[in-house]
Amino acid sequence: MTQLAPAPSTLTPQPRPRQPRPSHQGGTLLAAGEPMVWLLAAGLGMAIAMISGLVALVVWNGAATFWPVPVVEVRTLDGSIHLGEVVRSDTYRPDEVVLQSIPEGDREAVRAAIEGEGGLASRRLLRTANFDLSGTHFTWVDDFSIAPGGESNPEWAVVVERLEWGRFVGVPLRGEQGGAVVAEGEEATWTWYEDHHAEARRLWRERRELKSDEMGALNRRIEEARLDLRRAELREQAPPEWVTAWTDLSRARAVHDESGIEASRSRLAAIEAAGFRPNERFLEAIEGYEAIERSTEGEFAALRGRIEDLDAQLAAEVMVLGTVDGQEQAIPLAEIVRAVPQNRLSWFGRLGVYLDRWMEFLLDDPRESNSEGGVYPAIFGTVAMTLIMTIAVVPFGVLAALYLREYAKAGPLISAVRIAVNNLAGVPSIVFGVFGLGFFCYVVGASIDQLLFSASLPNPTYGKGGLLWASLTLALLTLPVVIVATEEALAAVPRSMREGSYACGASKWQTIHRIVLPRALPGIMTGAILAMARGAGEVAPLMLVGAVKLAPELPIDGTLPFVHPERSFMHLGFHIYDLGFQSQNSEAAKPMVFTTTLLLITLVAMLNLMAIWIRARLRRRFAGSQF
Amino acid sequence: MADQTFTGWVRRRTTSARVKVADAAARVLITTAGLATIVAVAGMCVFLVAIAAPLFLPGKVSAARSLAPQLAEDAAAPVHVALDEHRTIGFACFGDGEVVVFDSETGDPIDRRRLFDEPPTAWSFVPGGDLAIFAFADGTVRHGTLGFTAEFVEPSEIEPEFRTLEVGASRRGDGGVVQRTASGSFRIQRFAAALSEPAKISEKPVRLVDLSMLTTGPVLVAVDDERTLHVKSVTVIRNMMTRRETLRVSGGSIELPPTIGGGSLPVHCLLEGRADSALLVWADGRALRIDTRDRSEPALAERLDLLPEGGGTITAVSFMIGKTTLLVGDADGAVDAWFRVRPSEQSELAALVDGTRLVRAHRLEGAAGVAVRSLAASNRTRMAAAGFADGSARLYSVTNDRLLATCPPQDGWHQAITALSISPKDDGLLTASADGCALWQVDVPHPQTTVGSIFGKVWYEGYERPEHVWQSSSGTDEFEPKFGLVPLLFGSIKATLYAMLFGTPLAILAAIYTSEYLHPRTRARVKPAIEVMASLPSVVLGFLAALVFAPLVERVVPALLASFFVIPFAVLVAAHAWQFLPTARATRLAGWRVPLGLLAAAAGLAAAFAGGPAIERWCFGGDIMGWLAWKPDGEPSPFASPFGGWLLLLLPFSTVGSWWLVARASSGRMRTAISRMDRPQAAAAQLAKFLAGSALSLGVAAGLAAALSALGFDPRGGVVDTYVQRNALIVGFLMGFAIIPIIYTIAEDALSSVPEHLRSASLGLGATPWQTAVRIIVPTAMSGIFSAVMVGLGRAVGETMIVLMAAGNTPILEWNIFNGFRTLSANIAVELPEAVPHSTEYRMLFLAGLSLFMLTFLVNTFAEWVRQRFRKRAFAL
Repeated sequence: MTQLAPAPSTLTPQPRPRQPRPSHQGGTLLAAGEPMVWLLAAGLGMAIAMISGLVALVVWNGAATFWPVPVVEVRTLDGSIHLGEVVRSDTYRPDEVVLQSIPEGDREAVRAAIEGEGGLASRRLLRTANFDLSGTHFTWVDDFSIAPGGESNPEWAVVVERLEWGRFVGVPLRGEQGGAVVAEGEEATWTWYEDHHAEARRLWRERRELKSDEMGALNRRIEEARLDLRRAELREQAPPEWVTAWTDLSRARAVHDESGIEASRSRLAAIEAAGFRPNERFLEAIEGYEAIERSTEGEFAALRGRIEDLDAQLAAEVMVLGTVDGQEQAIPLAEIVRAVPQNRLSWFGRLGVYLDRWMEFLLDDPRESNSEGGVYPAIFGTVAMTLIMTIAVVPFGVLAALYLREYAKAGPLISAVRIAVNNLAGVPSIVFGVFGLGFFCYVVGASIDQLLFSASLPNPTYGKGGLLWASLTLALLTLPVVIVATEEALAAVPRSMREGSYACGASKWQTIHRIVLPRALPGIMTGAILAMARGAGEVAPLMLVGAVKLAPELPIDGTLPFVHPERSFMHLGFHIYDLGFQSQNSEAAKPMVFTTTLLLITLVAMLNLMAIWIRARLRRRFAGSQF
Repeated sequence: MADQTFTGWVRRRTTSARVKVADAAARVLITTAGLATIVAVAGMCVFLVAIAAPLFLPGKVSAARSLAPQLAEDAAAPVHVALDEHRTIGFACFGDGEVVVFDSETGDPIDRRRLFDEPPTAWSFVPGGDLAIFAFADGTVRHGTLGFTAEFVEPSEIEPEFRTLEVGASRRGDGGVVQRTASGSFRIQRFAAALSEPAKISEKPVRLVDLSMLTTGPVLVAVDDERTLHVKSVTVIRNMMTRRETLRVSGGSIELPPTIGGGSLPVHCLLEGRADSALLVWADGRALRIDTRDRSEPALAERLDLLPEGGGTITAVSFMIGKTTLLVGDADGAVDAWFRVRPSEQSELAALVDGTRLVRAHRLEGAAGVAVRSLAASNRTRMAAAGFADGSARLYSVTNDRLLATCPPQDGWHQAITALSISPKDDGLLTASADGCALWQVDVPHPQTTVGSIFGKVWYEGYERPEHVWQSSSGTDEFEPKFGLVPLLFGSIKATLYAMLFGTPLAILAAIYTSEYLHPRTRARVKPAIEVMASLPSVVLGFLAALVFAPLVERVVPALLASFFVIPFAVLVAAHAWQFLPTARATRLAGWRVPLGLLAAAAGLAAAFAGGPAIERWCFGGDIMGWLAWKPDGEPSPFASPFGGWLLLLLPFSTVGSWWLVARASSGRMRTAISRMDRPQAAAAQLAKFLAGSALSLGVAAGLAAALSALGFDPRGGVVDTYVQRNALIVGFLMGFAIIPIIYTIAEDALSSVPEHLRSASLGLGATPWQTAVRIIVPTAMSGIFSAVMVGLGRAVGETMIVLMAAGNTPILEWNIFNGFRTLSANIAVELPEAVPHSTEYRMLFLAGLSLFMLTFLVNTFAEWVRQRFRKRAFAL
């Protein structure tokens, strides 16, 4: 602090010599309260550091997941050999049990080495993979247990990402086609693999499409015909036993089983005697169903034949790999998603694999119970849900805010409503989930099922969690965000502008429409984006109203009516929960969780930053005029 | 001239219709849509209430249908009655072995048959099924089932006379009762009895008998004329050639001591469901419990008095489902429920023969002065019914001592209810007396939930004492769901508390620094950055907590605990060192306080981690996990001393105390002395003061810890106890992350909205920024800061994903910071997807949701109210 100068005295005529005043520097020091200020500063610093550290942790781990790391081969003192990617390393305090596993000759040297490090030892976690042979995915290797010179990076170690059983690490031995060896030796096999893999995968994809698209279409046709029949049954109030008897009859006819025909006929006659008479329309519906069943039978057989052909073709091409402990494993080329000789790759080669894995992650379906492959359905589900939610929440939120701010008469009731709406933002999201499940699924959905989908009951169509209900639940959850933001934006429009508009003779609606809303629009958009950000990151209510770990079909696809709001869907947030918490092999799933997390927080942060950017622009545009 | 304007435009003086219509339409649309939105939001609360409310509604028992007045030809009273699950057919069994089957719609007898040639001397009907056993004068017993069979018949095959039945209607015929089902086919319910061949168990006539069915086969107990108790297992041997079944009986017997009952025979003999304990009851209330775990050598386990109040006579005894809880009715109309408990105290346990004792857990509200004549238990729940001597009956929910309904006698009927039965689906009550039978319709969907049983302690079967328990499902049919919300509420509060303890101070410190010390341009960057963190999805935090931090923290607990003290200490030491800087330099470098403070904190953290093993060695016997899990067992152990735990627990308090002491001591002359000093001297004095204060707080804590340890107090079992990997510490830490941005934002808003002129005035009067902040800004913004804390609390209470993933989800009542818990929100997330709509569990989960809703809504409303007051006050300044 600056030295306090004595006040110039104007009363005394002659200047007195300056008296040195006590400095009181200590007092200034006390008053500044520096230690407490430091506590405040450290508080802020720690808050920022912890939060950014958390984000950095996610970003680092998430981004590193797909980078191909070198494959190491280690031979330990007790003679076992491991080959795998190094996942991570740490230091720990080995106890006596660990030391006992070291062969006796080396034990003392190891003990001395550990004690030299203060009792600590470092170890690495190798992803040794080959679960189908070894029964484990990972192995810890102690650095002290490695035999001298026992560590190397074998050039031809290949990491194979398979459709099943997780990864495989081994050395390519030979390529076989239909049982005959067509390539032998590492290099030749690898070249053969590179030449044939793309074609095998193309066939595999063809088979997958046959199975899912064409088979699915056939199944849907039969299912629809069955539902038509059921609808007719309900309409005509046909007793179910009549229908079973009729089906038995037509089956017996098809195989010319005279006694069966006779028995079914008499059953039909008995029921008809009891009072039921099928009319023409009902008989037509039955015949229509049977016709479809007959016609699809042939198509099914043809499809199955094609699939079997492809299967045979796919099974013929096999790459045989040898593991580090001398076992051999034959892997059909079609089963190989990607094989990477990670030790042979240059930096750019690695980058290529890295980007390729990212592409797969973003654009492909998950496999291996979600711990491998992509998250495309989850991204799709998250985006679709957020969009439907936004479409539902913005109009109502804006209307409610307009009412509260422009039309309702200010009074205690309206301020109470305003407080209540404000507080709704603080109500736990799970409560909205409870409401969504109880009201949307079990009340509204069940009623819709009763009215429109009674044919497929007791299987619920809308009476269970689904995309629509999840979106509406989250719309309710984010409604306060939109209302509050819109109200703030409306309130920020200066009174003078409204008054000017009225003075020009504009009506209330004209004023709102031409003057208020355009000026409030950025604020409303901010609210909408904040609502999207909140909705996209919310998981708890979705667990109740429709997010599932694996949805077989996307909620929007190529079959009529294209949008299926009743379907369950996958969600990035739920994916994280499911992978991280319910996964069998959580160590293998962890990198994927980090990457999914990175994706989700990027999405949410982008939405938020957009809102903040709009808000800042808005503030700049309207600032300065007031003060 | 009037029409002539300067611009040449003609002014229209009327508003065009289009504008008017648009205006009106907008008004109507906005008003309806706005109101509808608000009403819809309010409807949410109404809906939650509507689903949860039936839990508390009382049950309904609608008027009885009196059935055939006389079932027996000789006006005898039945000893047992039963109904089928659709309430279409029933039977009554009489003491002479006669069974009358009747249509429960009309009461018309369908069948009348005698089960045995000889009348039985004793019988027992097992609750929770249709098992029964009869004993005879020749010392033999026959066991088997008396129940109903259902046969489904297609309409084409049913007798023509039934084809006209409406859906749901029933009619007598075809040896039973025919009912048309909803799917259109017909169901014929018939009475069926299947009894084994006689098996001889005694040479003397059997006077009392009971049976329990184990997976290995039936086990029975019987008392014969000579006061001998027989315990027998029955094995059925099937001859492969002849396909004939023979029964082989094995087991032992025990003579009843003559000292009890004055040599008379007991009046009741019962065998528990697992056949490990039998009970003999005399009319005067005295009882013997026999340990029958070893069937060949039954032994006396306990002597009891079932009427501890003295006097009275026991008039009815029955087991409930599972045959564990015993209902005892006496001549004064009281109904008690007894069951065996296993005491947790070692000393008590040692005194017991089989490690358990029978205790009276429930007293039900009986009809005063009217003897209980019969008791019946539900086949699926803890409902029970009692029939009284005056012909009335009562329906109870035993676990929560609740009287569900009273059924008065039929007009003109006076005979005692000798048998009664709750229908298999708990929707009917059949009472029988010598006057006849009456069928009551029972509609009690949620017998086990009352305000008392949800929020209070309930004595569940097998528990040592009344407790708060949440356990909604289990593997067995006989399991009783336990719906006590208290453990879940407790979990929510525990999570919130630990999260607030960690998050609030940090957030408020950061907010004050941001608003008072940060350059506006920096503030404009920092604040949005922290706000973005508020929308960090909580599932991310949950995942990090459970999979990254939980395994990490487990390895560094002592260092982590130490860092709570070492980090602030390091920061304060650094601040005191900073004071040695000359004024000019300190002023110039003031902007570096945040990074330097952070550096000091990091140094503190590093020091704590470096010192962690040492602390573990000194305070926790070298292994904190072992120290926490240690239980006194008389053995000498390095973990026996509670000193280290006390030290860490007391340190915060002693710090606050010595802070206060040092501040008091240095406020007067010492302060004046320091203010007169030069800057370096003053800084040195301050540092000395601080170090002295720190030493004092450590010393006080150590002294107190030593004293408490010497006195034999141990913190373990309270706030600290056995370490579980997913625990409150982790949740508190990560949930702290979730609430820091919220508290920070709102508190910072409150601080910055303190009018600028107050700040200017204070600074202008020569106050330092610190003095301004502490004496002017913070007190003015206090209510705003408070409301920020409340909003943070609201968020912490309802947070789901973090606790779901990181809290272990065991619903226990324990403050232990190293143990998990289950919160209301996590419980909903775990159980609601599996709950059957409209079941008790479903409604309980809605009640949990409603509690959360109300809790957060109230907290937030309060915060909002405080904030509005604050705003008004700030405006007034």
